[in-house]
Amino acid sequence: METKVDTAWCPGCGNFAIRDVLETAIHELSVPANRVVLTSGIGQAAKMPHYLDVNYFNGLHGRSLPLAVGIKLARPDLTVIAYSGDGCMYGEGGNHFIHTIRRRLDLTILVSDNRVYALTKGQSSPTTDPDVINPLSPEGSRSIPLNPLALAITLGAPFVARGFAGEKEHLKVLIKQAILFPGTALVDILQPCVSFNKINTYQWYKERVFRLEKPLTDRYEALKTAELWGEKIPIGVIYQNESAECRRVKEIFRKQATREDIECQVDMKCVMMR
Amino acid sequence: MEMNVVVAGEAGQGAFSVELELTEILSRLNYHFFATKRYMSRVRGGHNTHMIRIADHAVHALRGGKWDMVVALDAETERLHRPNLREGGVYLTREMTKEIGAAAKEAFGNIAASNSILVGVVLAVIGVSPENVAGAAEPAKEEYLKKGFEFAARWKLPGALPVSPKAGEHRKFDGNQALALGAILGGCQFMAGYPMTPATSILNYFSEAASGLPIHFEQAEDEIAAINMVLGASYAGVRSMAATSGGGFALMQEAVSLAGMTETPVVIAVSQRPGPATGLPTRTEQADLNFVLHAGHGEFPRTIFAPGSIGETIALTRKSFELADRYQIPVFILSDQYFADSVQIHEEDIPLDVDSREYREFDRTYKRYQLSGDGVSPLTFPGLSEALVKADSDEHDEEGKITEDRSLRIRMADKRRKKIALLRKAAVLPTFYGDRKAASFILCWGSTKHIVKEAAERLSSEGIPAGVLHFGQVYPLTPEMVAPYHLEEKRLVGVENNAGGQFARLVKGELGFAVDHSVLKYDGDCFTVEELYQALKGVLS
Repeated sequence: METKVDTAWCPGCGNFAIRDVLETAIHELSVPANRVVLTSGIGQAAKMPHYLDVNYFNGLHGRSLPLAVGIKLARPDLTVIAYSGDGCMYGEGGNHFIHTIRRRLDLTILVSDNRVYALTKGQSSPTTDPDVINPLSPEGSRSIPLNPLALAITLGAPFVARGFAGEKEHLKVLIKQAILFPGTALVDILQPCVSFNKINTYQWYKERVFRLEKPLTDRYEALKTAELWGEKIPIGVIYQNESAECRRVKEIFRKQATREDIECQVDMKCVMMR
Repeated sequence: MEMNVVVAGEAGQGAFSVELELTEILSRLNYHFFATKRYMSRVRGGHNTHMIRIADHAVHALRGGKWDMVVALDAETERLHRPNLREGGVYLTREMTKEIGAAAKEAFGNIAASNSILVGVVLAVIGVSPENVAGAAEPAKEEYLKKGFEFAARWKLPGALPVSPKAGEHRKFDGNQALALGAILGGCQFMAGYPMTPATSILNYFSEAASGLPIHFEQAEDEIAAINMVLGASYAGVRSMAATSGGGFALMQEAVSLAGMTETPVVIAVSQRPGPATGLPTRTEQADLNFVLHAGHGEFPRTIFAPGSIGETIALTRKSFELADRYQIPVFILSDQYFADSVQIHEEDIPLDVDSREYREFDRTYKRYQLSGDGVSPLTFPGLSEALVKADSDEHDEEGKITEDRSLRIRMADKRRKKIALLRKAAVLPTFYGDRKAASFILCWGSTKHIVKEAAERLSSEGIPAGVLHFGQVYPLTPEMVAPYHLEEKRLVGVENNAGGQFARLVKGELGFAVDHSVLKYDGDCFTVEELYQALKGVLS
């Protein structure tokens, strides 16, 4: 992509591939750029909107989701994508991740999951494996890694997918599906971090990922598949629930309450005057 | 003439229902009244106090002093309030209210009917006739009220403490209703919130109104989510607000700073209760002025209102949205539990037209943070035109792209600071009551307005003249706001519902005038007129 902006990512960062894929995906969906809004939080991945030609609100750490919720509730006519890293989405914004899925809005959640805090230089993230040694865990990480796919399925997310930055065509299809899906769609993207994650490298993933042939529609089978990690790592649509109902949002933009509406509220003693 | 009644009992015993029904009927009968409550942070038990002042003249504060009537729903009332019953006053003992409860069960099979029966007794005491009450009551409750009149007749109470209905055309509000109405009139179409006393009823009123209007309310998972949703909606082009109390606002702080940096218009109502931490969850205080004044890391402009009456609350809340939009800043409305939970009538006309905003369109060259002469960049919203709207929490260039360029940083910081001058020019002037020539002026802000006003009027009528200067806008404070009053020649007394005299310090810091005396209260209750009158008398005479 052509840009005058000096990207803040390291050479070889998985985010470059994701950026190209996202740009192409949006382009191929022929959504006009002015109707797409990206929200993001803080971290290396959260800088993504700066390198794309769309509307964006690059907010605070962990808060890309409530921003996206507010935008979608105010403007259901816009295509709203929340984009951030694993630390932002699953750590600082973990509570928002849970409750945003519960809201059943037509949102796309994309996560650059590099299993490490990169911008702050190598600390554990919620998806860091046990025993991984890093500056704040010199004796190795002691926590159970969070499984975002299993969590999302459990919460009732109707579209849960995993992509890999090293398989761009496949990732593009996933992102397009996620954006087109009428409901909350999560794509957790395996993103090699060339600077701080020396384990989960391009090569490491290439030896392990396999594509699911078609979306799983059984929730419990999907949960089992979401649990797979290590020798075999599934990518594709882990779970898709076509019958899940997406929440309808009232159109409010540029629709004003009238004086008559207010008089009803006040004089009929129906609400304000109880 | 006036009649001051206290209805007290355990939470869940019906004192609140009595207040609600009584004030509704008083309003319909065109009585002047002021009602407020002191309640505990519990659903059942404890001891709650509901105080209603009924008068033949306008009243907007608690009188204080002795009660004219005490209604005991529990034994605690006997201990707490009976000693404050004036001689010749009316006392409904626990036995009498028990008898009413028994009658409610016997006659109507409904213990809740005893609330209406009690309302009937109180109405009889002030001289309302059963015929008059019939038209003002909910039809389903007429029978209960009639029973109340029977009890009153048996106890020889009708007309014992007569008050005439003298109010003109009016509307009845509590503070939070007024705030919610002001927001809707200001064009607010989006609120997200997490319930917290005493702000919860702002959310209640707003969400109820929203159901039939092009307005949305969203219950958030926490206050951090709430304010970020609000900023998201505002960015997307809808006037938006958040409402909370101090503890919830503490969680919102990071996003206040975000609003400052991204120049996203937002209105935030902070309904104060005593802290620190959980403090006294259901009581009142004015101790979050400093907090709101300094909330959010970094430097950015803001305006803070602290209305002191129903009319002022509606007007300033409405104005907040225009101001937030025009200058792309956070605007705060400071209220408190006392004002939020006080019910009163408002006789002046309320303009009910809803404010509209501009929707400007631009081409692809649009820059969200375009450097301009006055610091205000053109505002538009995503999907409205070819313009792409790029908001960034990092320091950014004119387009909204992240930057660490030092000279650009300075220009952007200066751009944000320039708006301060505009906010100072737009400052809302304080309200003055009393004699401008008086040697002593009382400075107050927010909910104490009418308490101070009435106390000062009493002092003046006794030959102790005092002017009252009430600040509905507490920040920014400008010399122009006080220029007509020659404060340098006055003896200044500060009245605040806090322990630190926060506003007095602000006045000293911003305007250079030191307060000579402070009358402060921080036990969790508001001042009563009597209490403040006594305190001021000690200071001024």
